[in-house]
Amino acid sequence: MANLGFGENGWGGLILSATLTTLLLSLAAMMVGAAVGSGVAAAKLSSRRPVRWLGDGYSVIFRGIPELLIIYLFYFGGSGLITQIGQLFGADGFIEVPPFLIGALAIGLISASYQAEVFRAGRLALNPGEIEAAQAIGMPKPRILQRIVVPQVVRYALPGLSNVWQMSLKDSALISVTGIVELMRASQVAAGSTRQYFTFYLIGGTCYLVLTVLSNTAFKKAEKRLGRAHRSRTAAHS
Amino acid sequence: MIDLPFLTDTFLKLAAALPVTLGLFFSSFVLGGLLALVILAMRMSRNPLLSGFARGYILVFRGSPLMIQLFLIYYGLGQFELIRHSFVWPVLREPFFCAVVSLALCTASYTAEIFRGGLLAIPAGQIEAGMACGMSRWLLLRRIVAPIMLRYALPAYSTEAILLVKSTALASLVTVWDVTGVAQQIIQRTYRTMEVFICAALIYLILNFIIVQIYAWIERRLTPRLRAVEAATAQPVPHAIAGEKHD
Amino acid sequence: MTNYAPTTLSMKEIRKSFGSLEVLKGISLDARKGDVISILGASGSGKSTFLRCINLLEMPDSGVVSVAGETIEMKRHTRGHQLAANQRQVESLRSRLGMVFQSFNLWSHMTVLQNVIEGPLYVLKRNKKECIEQAEKILDRVGLLNRKDFYPAQLSGGQQQRVAIARALAMEPEVMLFDEPTSALDPELVGDVLKVMRNLAEEGRTMLVVTHEMGFARNVSNRVVFMHQGTIDCQGTPEEMFGEQGSPRFKQFISSHQAG
Repeated sequence: MANLGFGENGWGGLILSATLTTLLLSLAAMMVGAAVGSGVAAAKLSSRRPVRWLGDGYSVIFRGIPELLIIYLFYFGGSGLITQIGQLFGADGFIEVPPFLIGALAIGLISASYQAEVFRAGRLALNPGEIEAAQAIGMPKPRILQRIVVPQVVRYALPGLSNVWQMSLKDSALISVTGIVELMRASQVAAGSTRQYFTFYLIGGTCYLVLTVLSNTAFKKAEKRLGRAHRSRTAAHS
Repeated sequence: MIDLPFLTDTFLKLAAALPVTLGLFFSSFVLGGLLALVILAMRMSRNPLLSGFARGYILVFRGSPLMIQLFLIYYGLGQFELIRHSFVWPVLREPFFCAVVSLALCTASYTAEIFRGGLLAIPAGQIEAGMACGMSRWLLLRRIVAPIMLRYALPAYSTEAILLVKSTALASLVTVWDVTGVAQQIIQRTYRTMEVFICAALIYLILNFIIVQIYAWIERRLTPRLRAVEAATAQPVPHAIAGEKHD
Repeated sequence: MTNYAPTTLSMKEIRKSFGSLEVLKGISLDARKGDVISILGASGSGKSTFLRCINLLEMPDSGVVSVAGETIEMKRHTRGHQLAANQRQVESLRSRLGMVFQSFNLWSHMTVLQNVIEGPLYVLKRNKKECIEQAEKILDRVGLLNRKDFYPAQLSGGQQQRVAIARALAMEPEVMLFDEPTSALDPELVGDVLKVMRNLAEEGRTMLVVTHEMGFARNVSNRVVFMHQGTIDCQGTPEEMFGEQGSPRFKQFISSHQAG
């Protein structure tokens, strides 16, 4: 039986630290996705057609191409590109881009296309009258965005974002092809080293499951908190 | 400069791998769809063991990455003497069939949930009307429930089909020479990442486009009645209503 | 009784079309301080559009809008329609007008109190403590102080509308605009809102009210304007309008709206 302990020959330590790496990777990807995704959502909501086409084009590309291919593009092509740019600035030799950044960027850009859909739906669910009311008291546009639009879009987007987060967690396993030691790669290494394939892939899968279930619970709690405002009167009768 | 000969050569090499990708897709799509119906039946059953198993199945296969499921089946199952000497071994030994099994198991869990969504969306009144006519459970299922469920599930199901196409790319990680596998091989030999990527990406995008069109066609064919009613009652929208919110 | 107060609001020759349909055909209206003007008319007469042109929620195609002597600067877009030339001026003017909407439009993610302090806090940039004190006073006047920590979804329609009125009042507007404030309310709740509006009128607030409530038009306002197909058909004091000087069209309008 495989040694799962934390001692010298134990694999427990590696698995645990790799799980942390997976979490960090996914978090970084979500942040990239949120930033880019809001931009894509804004583009898709724009009144100008060419801008909308750009947004739609982004979605088609990042939702239609296999994630593995996109990771290959960033991994194999990324270092080459950065090296070329570096050479323009006089740097010599091959510049290696840290796989963590590549992975986070690739998964992040993919996640952005899904987050864009979630943000867009949330924005469309907003009552336009509330924006008019803010305009009517003379609130400037940026302030309306900050005080009225964003808080409500976030609230509407939460269930969708929970799904996107799960997706990013699972997609992060694909980054193992770049060699970075996250949970999938750690399972691979442990399995290959001990020839206990079934055991370690099972353990890895279980760790992912734990992450998924914990995330679900966390999101449900957040949805409950933010949804206070919209539960209609129960005991609150005049 | 655009290297046309290289591009064409690459494109042809990738296209040669298309049958593999398509084979992966169709096999797992059909298998997964059938399995999904079984899982759905279990999920909706009143027997706590059956519905519990189904819920567990869905949780496990939707909560973990496909990659680890694939490796578990391909590398993991081969570990056991029992499996190696059983009748499933010829199937599980081959990377292609292994990938199909893994893809099918995974897509079945998502599809089961999609079907369940369609099921729950059926207005209860329509089922009651069927019962009031004296329809048997099986007749009800066949003539009322299944057709309506399918129509409601169609949009989400088309999304799942596209996800399945993308998932076939993972088969390349267990030595299946599909489009992605061949693409990666060419990149590693020629280092011309961008060009190969564009060719491979194009192939998948075209595939997805075709799938979307097929689904749109199916949807049109399955809901002609709705559209006929709309056409009959539609009137040109007067400017006053189109332009103003108030009077 | 004629109002000799200074003009707080002046609309001249306002025109507005939606596509090929001309909704406002050159309407002019002046309001003096303390005026309570009821704007009546059938659906399609353009009364709501006209009201929304005052605070530029709708952009007039031509015409001049002046608030307290300050004219809103316009410029012409290349495609021919008008745009506000100075967005800051528009925002500043809007902050001096209060609007109450038919569908209340309270901000659903904020409590009642937060709704009322939002404007003074972020637009007028006042001190938070002051805003809260003032908000509580106003909420008390509309009778909803005990609901200040409730969310809009937890209130009835009439309560929400009273909060909306409080929210508009908190900005200390020079003119208050009401766009069919009771049309979306159940009949039992209409009375409470009309009561609040009546109190405001008696305080001397300048109010423009688009409404179907004949009672309000007759008993509370000091001027009644009847619009028909984008123009002002007739206007005058309630005595004049509901008496002999009302046009035949207006008389017909009243009778059809008083069907019990």
